[in-house]
Amino acid sequence: MKNITQKTMQKIIAGVLLVVAGAVFADSMVSTLRTDTPLNEEQKAPKIMPFEDTDKKLKRNYPEQPPVIPHDTEGYRIDLNANKCLSCHARSRTEDSGAPMVSITHFMDREGQFLATISPRRYFCTQCHVSQREVKPLVDNDFVDIDELLHGAQSMEHKSN
Amino acid sequence: MFTKIKQYWRVVRSPSGYFSLGFLTLGGFLAGVMFWGGFNTALEATNTEEFCTSCHEMRNNVFEELKQTVHYTNASGVRATCPDCHVPHKWTDKIARKMQASKEVWGKIFGTISTREKFLDKRLTLAQHEWHRLKANNSLECRNCHSPDSMDITQQSPRAAEAHETFLIPGRKTCIDCHKGIAHELPDMSTVPEWN
Amino acid sequence: MLQNKITRRALLKSQAAALASTAAGLPLSGQAQNLVTESNKTELKWSKAPCRFCGTGCSVMVATKDNHVVATHGDAKSPVNRGLNCVKGYFLSKIMYGKDRLTQPLLRKTNGKFDKNGEFTPVSWDEAFDIMAEKWKTALKDKGPTSVGMFGSGQWTIYEGYAASKLMKAGFRSNNLEPNARHCMASAVGGFMRTFGIDEPMGCYDDMEAADAFVLWGSNMAEMHPILWTRVTDRRLSAKHVKVAVLSTYEHRCFDLADIPMVFKPQTDLVILNYIANYIIQNNAVNEDFVNKHTIFKRGNTDIGYGLRPEHPLQQAAANADKAGGSVDMTFDEYAEFVSEYTLDKAHEMSGVPKNRLEEMAKLYADPNVKVTSFWTMGFNQHTRGVWANNLVYNIHLLTGKISEPGNSPFSLTGQPSACGTAREVGTFAHRLPADLVVKKKEHRDIAEKIWKLPEGTIPEKVGYHAVKQNRMLKDGKLNAYWIQVNNNLQAAANMNEETLPGYRNPDNFIIVSDAYPTVTAEAADLILPTAMWVEKEGGFGNAERRTQLWHQLVDAPGESKSDLWQLMEFSKRFAIEEVWPEELLAKMPEHRGKSLYDVLYRNGNVDAFPLSETAEGYANQEAEDFGFYVQKGLFEEYAAFGRGHGHDLAPFERYHEERGLRWPVVDGNETKWRFREGSDPYVTEGTEVEFYGHKDGKARIFALPYEPPAEVPDEEYPLWLSTGRVVEHWHSGSMTQRVPELYKAFPDAVCFMHPDDATESGLHRGQEIKIISRRGEIRTRVETRGRNRPPRGLVFVPWFDASQLINKVTLDATDPISKQTDYKKCAIRIEAV
Repeated sequence: MKNITQKTMQKIIAGVLLVVAGAVFADSMVSTLRTDTPLNEEQKAPKIMPFEDTDKKLKRNYPEQPPVIPHDTEGYRIDLNANKCLSCHARSRTEDSGAPMVSITHFMDREGQFLATISPRRYFCTQCHVSQREVKPLVDNDFVDIDELLHGAQSMEHKSN
Repeated sequence: MFTKIKQYWRVVRSPSGYFSLGFLTLGGFLAGVMFWGGFNTALEATNTEEFCTSCHEMRNNVFEELKQTVHYTNASGVRATCPDCHVPHKWTDKIARKMQASKEVWGKIFGTISTREKFLDKRLTLAQHEWHRLKANNSLECRNCHSPDSMDITQQSPRAAEAHETFLIPGRKTCIDCHKGIAHELPDMSTVPEWN
Repeated sequence: MLQNKITRRALLKSQAAALASTAAGLPLSGQAQNLVTESNKTELKWSKAPCRFCGTGCSVMVATKDNHVVATHGDAKSPVNRGLNCVKGYFLSKIMYGKDRLTQPLLRKTNGKFDKNGEFTPVSWDEAFDIMAEKWKTALKDKGPTSVGMFGSGQWTIYEGYAASKLMKAGFRSNNLEPNARHCMASAVGGFMRTFGIDEPMGCYDDMEAADAFVLWGSNMAEMHPILWTRVTDRRLSAKHVKVAVLSTYEHRCFDLADIPMVFKPQTDLVILNYIANYIIQNNAVNEDFVNKHTIFKRGNTDIGYGLRPEHPLQQAAANADKAGGSVDMTFDEYAEFVSEYTLDKAHEMSGVPKNRLEEMAKLYADPNVKVTSFWTMGFNQHTRGVWANNLVYNIHLLTGKISEPGNSPFSLTGQPSACGTAREVGTFAHRLPADLVVKKKEHRDIAEKIWKLPEGTIPEKVGYHAVKQNRMLKDGKLNAYWIQVNNNLQAAANMNEETLPGYRNPDNFIIVSDAYPTVTAEAADLILPTAMWVEKEGGFGNAERRTQLWHQLVDAPGESKSDLWQLMEFSKRFAIEEVWPEELLAKMPEHRGKSLYDVLYRNGNVDAFPLSETAEGYANQEAEDFGFYVQKGLFEEYAAFGRGHGHDLAPFERYHEERGLRWPVVDGNETKWRFREGSDPYVTEGTEVEFYGHKDGKARIFALPYEPPAEVPDEEYPLWLSTGRVVEHWHSGSMTQRVPELYKAFPDAVCFMHPDDATESGLHRGQEIKIISRRGEIRTRVETRGRNRPPRGLVFVPWFDASQLINKVTLDATDPISKQTDYKKCAIRIEAV
């Protein structure tokens, strides 16, 4: 131990101080969308994860919610020439593809009239429907499903009865 | 001028008086090998991505589009270059396709698709050529890499597995039926049966 | 003393759980019936509210049950969106329920006392306001009103912005009030004021169903204004003659609908704009009658600098940095001569756009039979010559007379839900007052002081610090007490490491952040105030087509959260008028002696004119209940007094709660669709057909403005352009949308979109971790060579929503010298593998 020079000792002390200072700063971090990295520093960038490709339909949060896309859509083009999504989801294509038909609402124009085909205002599917990457949300969401509210109210009723 | 050609012709026609038969046979054979090698080298040189993309028509349109796709970068790092999909691998077919390509040289000289707009106007026709070819040969160039026999559908996404099991394996459809636009942008698809 | 410290971990551990409904999460009953059918249970209460996100102003139907928002959908009755929402709008139901909602004020403390380097500790509202008031009073006493400031937002409700404007400009007598709309819309405002003398678009969304051609000038509507894009798409695909031209510095989703796609080199939009004007003149397509009757020509000052700090060499070198907005008269012939150098060859050479496409677009404008609607957003506005770009596009529409009629419309889109309604109409900028009045004009200040019942001379004449200057002044220690509401400016402002963060952490300064969630801005603050959001309060927004929309409070805010309005008014109670006004001002209205700021500003007989009983039945109203009168209606009516009879008329308050919004001016109960056009706009003098009444002579200005280079261009050391922007799934800094799992999973992290050849040349591949480095800072991100954005060689695009990849560490804080708006679309960077 006596071999430790004064310089080394200084280094160790400085190191300990740095760690302590870092810890103090870390405790004042509240921004939950960042990991434990001070604002003026940069953390490792997360990997680009693939899209979920299970084809498993996910429960909607409420009936009006546009369903998320349960498969990879990378490279699917929707442009003036063609709409890749409709090559499976169009009414005429669903028998072959086994894909769900686009909802009836998509045939309505601005005035609520049903057209012969899908309304052009709904042409760009990805404005409402999105694929999901294989990542875990940074922050959970406490949104309460209506069924929980309904059944909760019912079971309350049962209890009080 | 005419007499000169006649003279040359006479020389070529008359039997050799100076060279032995052996020399001529061997020499002819060697010359043939050299010619053949040269021909094939030249042929192969035109069968590379570098050659294809040396023209701006290819480089700025279809090649640029390819860069966004799975045939350019993918998990295993196996790359498909232009000729892998667009030139038959069997020699006789390849020569036939190369003969056809003379028309493309013509197109290059006359600037048939020299601008993006001209290319887009012609895109449906060009794409249909390729779709017809692949349909006719049962997507041979696809199958050079993607053989259904070697396909393990349990490794595929449920959606892909289902489609391949229903359509590809029983031979109800061929690759190009479903995978149009997999490597390049699509033309106006309103007249294409599976899309309209 | 033991303290209850708040950290990331603590916030993520559901402090909100205790607040969730008692009904929620209870075990399901064991009964057999698997469908609840009783109407008293299944009935949902549906109410309207405008969407919380962009400036489109979609109306949303919101279902509530037991004090919860349980569903939302697009409002079929709204003329804006007719039943549609974009993916963000459809997930509005979930934005208020992130587990880490802030529910109590948090103050940085050590050993029970405020400490700038202390840890965030829960405190009461009383303690929060105590320390705030102490810091503000110290600043006011030591350095005067210019040492206090406030940074609000185009996401403030109209009431909040208006109350803030009164508090800052009249109460504290400081014009250091800015909205983040400065980063977003200031150049558009500058363009309107210069060309027309009155702010906001003359046209409306109905233009979209009437247009024969659309030209997008730096606007990625497909992602940023998705519902307006559905209307453009609808028109383009249902009427085959319609053409869509898209200009951008990289290919994005709008190119998927483009008949004329154009990728131009950054900054050369100025050349293209002048080329079109030249084309119109050269091809005799000038609408001479219109031009003669309704326009005059101006030569704008040039060499105006880049809005950098005055000592910056680029500022020193600029001849007209101090008179950037100046101009002199010129004739049509002189103007024609001026634009004549912008030939097709030159436009092609400088922009890199093929000649045939430039010409095809020019023809759309020149053809009198083609109705053209031009759209632009941040591509124009976030531009060191943003006001010029706005002026130049108006030139084209004015030269051809294609303006103020259905389908012919130069249309500036807005980014925030109330950038127009609050930031612009209420006038929460450092130089503005409501209804286009400005602080530097005495007659304007007089009007405001009269309506506010305040003594003459209350509002200071000197223009306050604009947004970018506020950060500089914080860093320099001249702005010391600073309150940020409803925005995330540490993430949003350019050059974060050199300018923003040092200002917030400057020991001389006390920074307050009001937000619903713990953002990076909150983390850099000293005091965080938990804030009610969206339908947790009664509010009003104004959208990009002058449509004012009001909504009711539909649910209660969690914990101790309070609205920005409540916070502003409650804080004003902490100041005796004698503490903030000098004796000579007070002497002019001695009746105010002994009163608090609250009494003087908000109990003035206007704001408190309507009793609690007038609030809507069936809806809670936290502010009205707390203050004892219908605060929102009082603020609305006092504010409406500025605009009624002056071209900004609002309808009676109640009507907005019935309608899906109305487009001002609303005169005799009728909204105005096309301003400046006789028959549509009641302010136009009879017989004039068209009158640009914003200017006293009734004429619009056509400006001669040249191309000038950007502030920073790529060089050997920093060889690439960086452009920043948004993606459809996230709104602004992602503080709401990143907390909705579906939206988060759709686009979890920022990436660097780049050309595959640029990547290959630098030895990079898709997905690789890289550093993006500029002269100012760096971030770590990953390479993306596929997907929705396809940049050309030499340019990369990075979205700014990601709190972990703060791209504004890299950007340059150069601004348009006229509008003071930052150029987020152009700076030079290099990329290195990590």
